[in-house]
Amino acid sequence: MKDLKHLIYFENLLQEANNDLVKQGKADGKRAIGYTCYFMPEVLLDLPGCFSVRLRAPRCTSPDIATYYLSGRVCHYARSLMERALEGGYNFLDAQMATETCTATCRFQEHLQQKHLDSVEDMRIIDNDDFFCEFTDIPFKNNETSYQHFETQLRAHVLEPLHEHFGIDISDETLRKAVEDHNEVCRLINEIGEYRKLDNPTITGYEFHVIQLVSLACPKYLILPYLRETAEELKTREPDMKKNFRCKVVLAGSENDDPDFTKLIESCGALVVCDRFCYGAVESRQPIVLEEGKSPLRCIAEHYLKTSNCPRFMPQDEMRARKKRLAELAKEYNADGVIIASNKFCEYWSYERVIDTFILQRDFGLPVCSIEKEYINSASGQLRTRFQAFVESVEIKHIQEGK
Amino acid sequence: MAKKFDMSGLKKSLDDMKKAGLKKTAHDFWYGKPHSGEEGGRRLGEILEDKTQLYTHREWRGVKDTMYYMYMIWGYNYVHMVTDILKYSNNPIDFVKGTWRYRWMGQTYLPVIHWFERGLQGMRGEALRASAWHYRAMVSASIQQICNFFNADTRLHGGKENEAYKTSIFANETTCGTLFYPWMDAGYRYIPLEMIPYFVTCHVNSHTVLNYIDAVQSLGLPGDPCPMCQAESGIFVLDDVPDSSPMLITCNEACDASVSTSTLQDWFFDKPLFALPIPMQFDDPLVKKYCMKEIEDCWKFIEEQTGVPFSWESMVKRLELQNQLQRDEWEKWEVAGKTDYYPVNGVAQALFRIFSTQYGIQGDFWLEASEKVKKIMYKCVEKKINPFPQTRHRVIAWSCAPLYYSNWCTWAYNCWGLNCIINMDSLMFDMEIRTDSYENMLEDMATYHMWAPMRRMAVGGMHHIFELWDYMERFNCDMVAMYDQLQCKGMQGVHGLFEDEFRKRNVKAFWIPHALPDSRTVSRAEIRRQINDYMSTVMHEEPLDPSLLDFDDSMTW
Repeated sequence: MKDLKHLIYFENLLQEANNDLVKQGKADGKRAIGYTCYFMPEVLLDLPGCFSVRLRAPRCTSPDIATYYLSGRVCHYARSLMERALEGGYNFLDAQMATETCTATCRFQEHLQQKHLDSVEDMRIIDNDDFFCEFTDIPFKNNETSYQHFETQLRAHVLEPLHEHFGIDISDETLRKAVEDHNEVCRLINEIGEYRKLDNPTITGYEFHVIQLVSLACPKYLILPYLRETAEELKTREPDMKKNFRCKVVLAGSENDDPDFTKLIESCGALVVCDRFCYGAVESRQPIVLEEGKSPLRCIAEHYLKTSNCPRFMPQDEMRARKKRLAELAKEYNADGVIIASNKFCEYWSYERVIDTFILQRDFGLPVCSIEKEYINSASGQLRTRFQAFVESVEIKHIQEGK
Repeated sequence: MAKKFDMSGLKKSLDDMKKAGLKKTAHDFWYGKPHSGEEGGRRLGEILEDKTQLYTHREWRGVKDTMYYMYMIWGYNYVHMVTDILKYSNNPIDFVKGTWRYRWMGQTYLPVIHWFERGLQGMRGEALRASAWHYRAMVSASIQQICNFFNADTRLHGGKENEAYKTSIFANETTCGTLFYPWMDAGYRYIPLEMIPYFVTCHVNSHTVLNYIDAVQSLGLPGDPCPMCQAESGIFVLDDVPDSSPMLITCNEACDASVSTSTLQDWFFDKPLFALPIPMQFDDPLVKKYCMKEIEDCWKFIEEQTGVPFSWESMVKRLELQNQLQRDEWEKWEVAGKTDYYPVNGVAQALFRIFSTQYGIQGDFWLEASEKVKKIMYKCVEKKINPFPQTRHRVIAWSCAPLYYSNWCTWAYNCWGLNCIINMDSLMFDMEIRTDSYENMLEDMATYHMWAPMRRMAVGGMHHIFELWDYMERFNCDMVAMYDQLQCKGMQGVHGLFEDEFRKRNVKAFWIPHALPDSRTVSRAEIRRQINDYMSTVMHEEPLDPSLLDFDDSMTW
């Protein structure tokens, strides 16, 4: 296939958290608001006057100082974020909208928080006088009680602090406009993602992963023109004559902001057609629906709880539904199997991966490749072997089924 | 090194007596040998078998204490281990059947008295008596729980769902028992699902639980998640959970792995389940309101499942007893913090508190034990008896303890004079619950629920974990035993800040690395070595009892 016009530019944007577009956003006088988790609605951080940056720590392979603070037994992602913060890589942030949704990132964000207490010294990791870190309590359930709670929390710990600190307009009208802009990004990403459902997709999993990540890591208003152009370009993009993949897979699992991981899978012959992981598009690019009779904030709160497939949800129906949802995605995207990848030391996904590995095969007949990986994948040789073996097993299955 | 009590040993003992003289021999016989090595001390390490830690002969504590141990601890508890079964079991045969059916049961019931031995080693006088009453209450409560399991277990009753089954409520072990008081007048029981099969098991026989950890890892679970959660999952994987309730209440206990354990339990258990989350940001009044609503939703679920309405009278009756128990603790802590007369040793203090708060008021054993301990404590205060006369340092233990070596503090006192006054787990649930109105009760209940074990200090903002400094002052401690649960992501995530603060404040602190129930990751011997190293190289102190410095207890329960 012909290279996408902006792919190299997008790749370059992903080399730094404080990339060219973030710098431009700051130069435009906007506030940069960091976050780590899907449960922090990015749409609220993209109100006029500020923009969201989902934190990444690209190229961080040796988080030595962070390992002193968080120990070597905490997930590499959290440690990499901490290391990058200690290096000064997030000094551009004006605020961190924190969540306690997983222990490791919670501890990282607590280190950023200015505690002003006698009990423990403020580290002042983010060297920015305006910086503050605010925690939001996120429910574990998807029900009416949780929607109410989440709405209240978002108002008290996201909107009001943004207004108080930076004078951000948090009126319903502004929220509606923000949702509209957010949905435009979603529409474009989904349009781009639709090509993955083709028999011979005209976009690779790697390319899509890069595009999705830039939409999370850059100010939306600045990345939008590039996304529009890319969507337009894809309308006429011709696939390769011969399929250059041997099977299609859904990639599911824990935090993954490393497009090279997707590239590694694809180099083994498995085309990644759907990404159901933290930082993926399945949930985050579903448009937000504003319902009549409900405040926009309420709709946003409901949206993020209803769309999440995070293993953090505890109720019985939720736990069971998310397996079914994964199987449905495989069907929707014509995938031959599922790769479930958990980051080392990620407790949620360690368990979820084990259960998925059994349930998806037993109840839905889906081949599953279950792997544990690092944040930055240096052990690519071992992973390559695993993926190659999985692709072969899927091919053998096809032969046996007479496909 | 431990020695066998053979004829050469007897000869040596006679030789020692000759050397010591009749007066000292008579004194040692009547009062027991003195603690420290310099005074021709008792050398406790020499009466234990290598590896198994079985006694080559009983520890001679002097006439009074040895007789007390023999009759009021050893004999008394063995007798009660039988009579409690008769008291709590619907049919003692079920108890026998359960002992055969469940690995955690078969391997832990008989070693219970060795659990006493480990916790009470070297204790004398009031310390021996008071600490033993805490143990007694825990054993009684455990037997009641075991009987509750077996009375209702369909596996032991040919698949039949009997009345006991229909009136039992399963919940994750760190869900506070308090939540279920409203149904107790109607004959319902709360059974903390993992408390006996996993938690108590680890303390009594550290080897049993390893099998469960291996079982869940054999499915592909990595070795790094919290081993407590792994063990709790492994019990389900090996189908070693009694089927004693038609429903399950899960909670997110302490961590991410606990949430995930619920998922796994759901697949295996496959019964109506209510997820009762414990919110994290408990200082936030908005969060408390949410928590109150969740608790009410949980009560509605129980009402739907049981068909029995919430009973305010049943709730209040037990809450008042629970509040009494809390007031007792405060009284004890007051003495522990301000005087040298508190008679309960570190392990008995910690376990009694965590057992009683998790299980709640489901019998009279907690208050009875508490009364007895208070009586002993009053005597110590009145007569100015220091039950731990060899104390060199008053220690506060922080973070969560190694379950397979919760009695490390007994060893630390005997060997180094480190007296563990209080620990973090005891300070959870540190409140009374108001009973003057439903609204006040519910509000307090939400706080109580959020102050659960391993949570009160560990979540809700990092500043809570650093309340350590306040507690050090309150309990007049000069040293910190800092537990280092290697697989606890939450506590690992504050490791560096603690190091910084210890240095900045010049606080004497030693780390105790461990993996909660998994004794293979850090052995008991390694824990002792770490403490020995700290005491000799940093504190430059000599051991009180050098025979306890280095010994092999790898095969003991």
